Amino acid sequence: MKVSLARALLRLFAVQGSYNYERLLGVGVGVAEEPLLRDLADGKYRPAVARGAHFFNAHPYLIGLAVGAAARAEHDGASPDQVERLREALCGPLGSVGDRLVWAGWLPFLSALTLAAVALGGGWIAVVSFLIVYNIGHVALRWWALKAGWTHGARVSVALHHPVLLKATATLGPAMALAVGFALPITAQYLAAPFGSWTRLALALAAVVAFLMLRVFGDRLNGLRFALGLSALALIAGWIWP
Amino acid sequence: MTLALYRIDDRLIHGQVVVGWGQPLNVSFIVLVDDEVRSSDWEQDLYRMGVPPSIEVRFASVEEAAQALPAWEADPRVGILLVADIDTAVALAERAPQVRRLNIGGVHHRTGRTERLRFVYLTDDEARKLRALAARGVDVTAQDVPTARPVPVGEFT
Amino acid sequence: MNLPVEVLIALLVWGTLVGVDLVSLPQMMIARPIVAGAVAGAILGDIPTGLRLGVVFELMQYDILPVGAVRYPEYGPATVAAVATAHSSAGVLGLGLGALVGLVTGLAGGLTINVLRRVNSRVVHNAAAALESGNPRALLRVHAGGLLRDAARAALVTAFGLLLAWLARPLLAGALTVRGALLLAVATVAAAIAAGSAGTLRLVGKGPNLVWFAAGLGGGLLVVAGVAWLR
Repeated sequence: MKVSLARALLRLFAVQGSYNYERLLGVGVGVAEEPLLRDLADGKYRPAVARGAHFFNAHPYLIGLAVGAAARAEHDGASPDQVERLREALCGPLGSVGDRLVWAGWLPFLSALTLAAVALGGGWIAVVSFLIVYNIGHVALRWWALKAGWTHGARVSVALHHPVLLKATATLGPAMALAVGFALPITAQYLAAPFGSWTRLALALAAVVAFLMLRVFGDRLNGLRFALGLSALALIAGWIWP
Repeated sequence: MTLALYRIDDRLIHGQVVVGWGQPLNVSFIVLVDDEVRSSDWEQDLYRMGVPPSIEVRFASVEEAAQALPAWEADPRVGILLVADIDTAVALAERAPQVRRLNIGGVHHRTGRTERLRFVYLTDDEARKLRALAARGVDVTAQDVPTARPVPVGEFT
Repeated sequence: MNLPVEVLIALLVWGTLVGVDLVSLPQMMIARPIVAGAVAGAILGDIPTGLRLGVVFELMQYDILPVGAVRYPEYGPATVAAVATAHSSAGVLGLGLGALVGLVTGLAGGLTINVLRRVNSRVVHNAAAALESGNPRALLRVHAGGLLRDAARAALVTAFGLLLAWLARPLLAGALTVRGALLLAVATVAAAIAAGSAGTLRLVGKGPNLVWFAAGLGGGLLVVAGVAWLR
């Protein structure tokens, strides 16, 4: 089973490889689960593989919990309905926990620290440190998720009560907020450095106006559209005021 | 405040709800209306794990929700009400006149459903029920996250 | 932009890896602009430019709400193209032109992600019978097809970005006055700072984390004042 788990883990790194709107990550989840289903009896293997590839969506790093749990449930002889129900119930919570833990925690926390470090002259060493530290957490989370799912099967919610996971989720929110708050002014100073003093004033003014506009019209105006619009304005202004 | 969002989402509690809507609205409680989840302890445990400790989760059947809606609406904190499918939403709207807005956040592919929007797949019957709700004065729009444009029901059913 | 062929190929390969990393494989965050930009800078022998454009687009990245299947621009390959542009023009002119090329490439990248997901949806839809039969080979084939298409997509977006980088100088740099170049740089950097601030605030929310954000902001401002005083 060790080999099958390793194979499933490797496949989990590509779980979003066939992202589509019809099944979202379903096909990738089925691909990752398939090695764990190979020792099922002949009549059970194919229906289990088919179920594995049904609609699924969750945080990619935590999907191992669902892959392991569903495969374990198939081995434990759960009915097709029970397996489907388990998969459906896991989508939302695994997405929510992962989004808070990683996309709104670990990643912006480390990204902000990296921004501050680069701005203060940390150079490429800051970037390499980011990659190493981030991925220690990333790979550990994927591996833990798969193993925990495989261990607990249908009682997978027990795994989500893991104290380290709870502690990390509770800590990373404030840590992220602290880090991004810290990084913003330092990064702004770094970006303003190549400009002359008058231009720096214009930059500060433009940034404040832009920030307010994004806050007020945020629902219709995303950062990209806004930046492109502002660039167009700048090009036109530079052309009529040479 | 009140219930800021009445949402149909077949994944119920997930990142779009907790981070996407929960953070900007500063949500303090989520009501999950689903007869099946109401009677399943392990599913309730799972959904509870999906929210931070600062958000309270309540589970209710359609019947219980219809009874409790006035109290939730009078709650000084901000809340979100979630249902997993169109039938539950219709059942709730028929029993509770408080449901005047309905946000469709995600109804995904299943046999018989066809694509209406990237995140909305409906059977013809479900589309008809949504239009009927809208005809009765409920403001039905599809919008997955707050930064997206709310699509009125007429554009996708 | 006049670059040796081997450097162009290295940038194309790097942009493709970065594009695939974002969603498909292995999500180790080389797709983050700060990483994509630093390595692109290293390939060009110009790490400072790579870091600077990387920081600009890392801030833009915060504008993207990181939840669920929402549509978003793609800033990884865009940063590679931005660094290639900025590398060939000195100073503030390079910064503005690079950011502009990156923004356009980021827009294009986001559009291709949506197109790819639509194509994948059709492939999965058409393979429904084989998938429902539980045929593992059909399953693997559908999945591998998606991965390969994403690699092709990422390569295409990077190539498009590098083409823009190559065109930017003759098309825009000639027409731009000194003041025009300066205005463009101010506009893009201001937009990035604003997008980064608005995005992080949305992520922080109105809850208890806002206090932590304020504390961090205070600390950051102290450091800024300290650095200014030292100079």
